[in-house]
Amino acid sequence: MSLRIGIREGFRTITRNASLFLLSLLVTSIALFLLSLFAFVTVNLYHFLNILDEKIEIIAFLEENADYEALKSNILKINGVRDVIYVSSEQALKDLQAELQETEEVLSVFESNPLPASLRIKLLAKFRNARGLEEISGKVMLLRGIMETIYGGELVDQLKKITSVITGFDIGLLLIIIFSVVFVIFQTIKLTIFARATEIDIMKLVGASNSFIALPFTFEGIVQGILGGFIAFILTVVTKRVAVSFLSNIYFPQGYFFVGSLLCGLIFGIIGSSLALRKFLK
Amino acid sequence: MITFDNVTKVYQKDWVALQDISFFIDKGEFVFVNGTTGAGKSTLLKLIYKDEEPTKGTIKVLDQNLRLLKKKNLPKLRRKIGVIFQDFKLLQDRTLEENIAFALDVTDTPARDMRKQMLEILTYLRLSHKKFSFPYQLSGGEQQKVAIARALVRDPYVLLADEPTGNLDEKSSQEIIDVLLDINYKGTTVLMATHNLKLIKKVKKRMLRIEDGKLASDQ
Ligand SMILES: Nc1ncnc2c1ncn2[C@@H]1O[C@H](COP(=O)(O)OP(=O)(O)OP(=O)(O)O)[C@@H](O)[C@H]1O
Ligand SMILES: [Mg+2]
Repeated sequence: MSLRIGIREGFRTITRNASLFLLSLLVTSIALFLLSLFAFVTVNLYHFLNILDEKIEIIAFLEENADYEALKSNILKINGVRDVIYVSSEQALKDLQAELQETEEVLSVFESNPLPASLRIKLLAKFRNARGLEEISGKVMLLRGIMETIYGGELVDQLKKITSVITGFDIGLLLIIIFSVVFVIFQTIKLTIFARATEIDIMKLVGASNSFIALPFTFEGIVQGILGGFIAFILTVVTKRVAVSFLSNIYFPQGYFFVGSLLCGLIFGIIGSSLALRKFLK
Repeated sequence: MITFDNVTKVYQKDWVALQDISFFIDKGEFVFVNGTTGAGKSTLLKLIYKDEEPTKGTIKVLDQNLRLLKKKNLPKLRRKIGVIFQDFKLLQDRTLEENIAFALDVTDTPARDMRKQMLEILTYLRLSHKKFSFPYQLSGGEQQKVAIARALVRDPYVLLADEPTGNLDEKSSQEIIDVLLDINYKGTTVLMATHNLKLIKKVKKRMLRIEDGKLASDQ
């Protein structure tokens, strides 16, 4: 069976049932748009959570005149530590000033700089939880020259819990949406097949193989999926434009969304039409 | 070429359409299947192109036992058999030409051969001037001819014709019979079902007569 004939017959199927095709294209587009929108929200949520996660760190305050170079290299040897950054007391003061947006004079009521120097300890992802923080900070405390350590603890676990709840919710929603997209395409192709049942019977009687009969419908499913994916992508871009106008810091990897939408449309189109055909061709 | 061995066909609800039918048709034969309305002629033809399955008995077509024929090989067998259906079975949304071309598409005929074969068959049946008409724009007799053209265009080994003269006047009927005889002369085995005895009497060929689903005579 040549592809040329399959595509020609596929176009015939679409044009002969144009209204049915347009209606189901609309539904497919909306369903794929929901999927895309969902991906958009999820991606931003994770992007945000990632930024928060990156900020999880232990701050170790140093005793006066501590040998920070030695401490830094010792801490780096601790399992789970990714990076250690030294903040001198002068730097800490500058940071504080920047944060308070105060002039030097206000802070100069102090005779000398009251802020201690510190080491900011960044952790590997696996250790960014209450237990990891506690464990590593315990080890840091044992080192000579460390005055005190502070870290988020409870708050961090709260964040983790929220993340996992969102993830679970996400997966559930994702499954529902995928199921409905496949179902819509499946139903449409089934309707188209029913509309052409006599024709298929005749095809079989004159010796058409199953793949000959199936190809035009698969083609229709693919066209429907890809077009639906494209429309969904356009709608998502529009949504993003709107969102940007009242939310800052929106994360939208456009290329991934474009390829993803078309790919999802294509895959669901193939799955949906195959399911419909399998039922019909037995 | 075609063998029936004690074939019985019972439709659902215990309706016996054919009972203990046995016969053998050799390569190149021309055979009439005769019987009154409802005798089982169409059923007999349907069994040959495996549109129906026999309830009992064995059917062999082109050296293949139909019961053992794998599903995926059925299309291949059907491409070697041309069928003129009693109800034509034309595709309503395709022109006459497309209807015939369709039978060639199925077999992946190269475009050049296809054009040649189409031209030949259309000229042969004198249908050329109607090739862009849709079935609903054709008379019953013309539709019948399209059905014949579609069955013949692939040069089948076996031609099954179910009442191919059912919608035609005497003159046109004779024309169709001549076409079928001509095809047969060129080597195709022809099996033609008809209730028209007058027509059969004019052409001295073998006849299977079916009465109430039983083979009443074979001469
Ligand atoms: N699909 C079916 N289901 C049940 N009964 C059927 C079916 N097809 C045919 N029959 C019955 O089987 C019998 C034989 O039918 P068939 O179509 O073979 O007759 P026929 O000889 O071709 O008649 P005609 O000359 O009118 O075309 C009829 O009584 C018919 O009602
Ligand atoms: Mg009949």
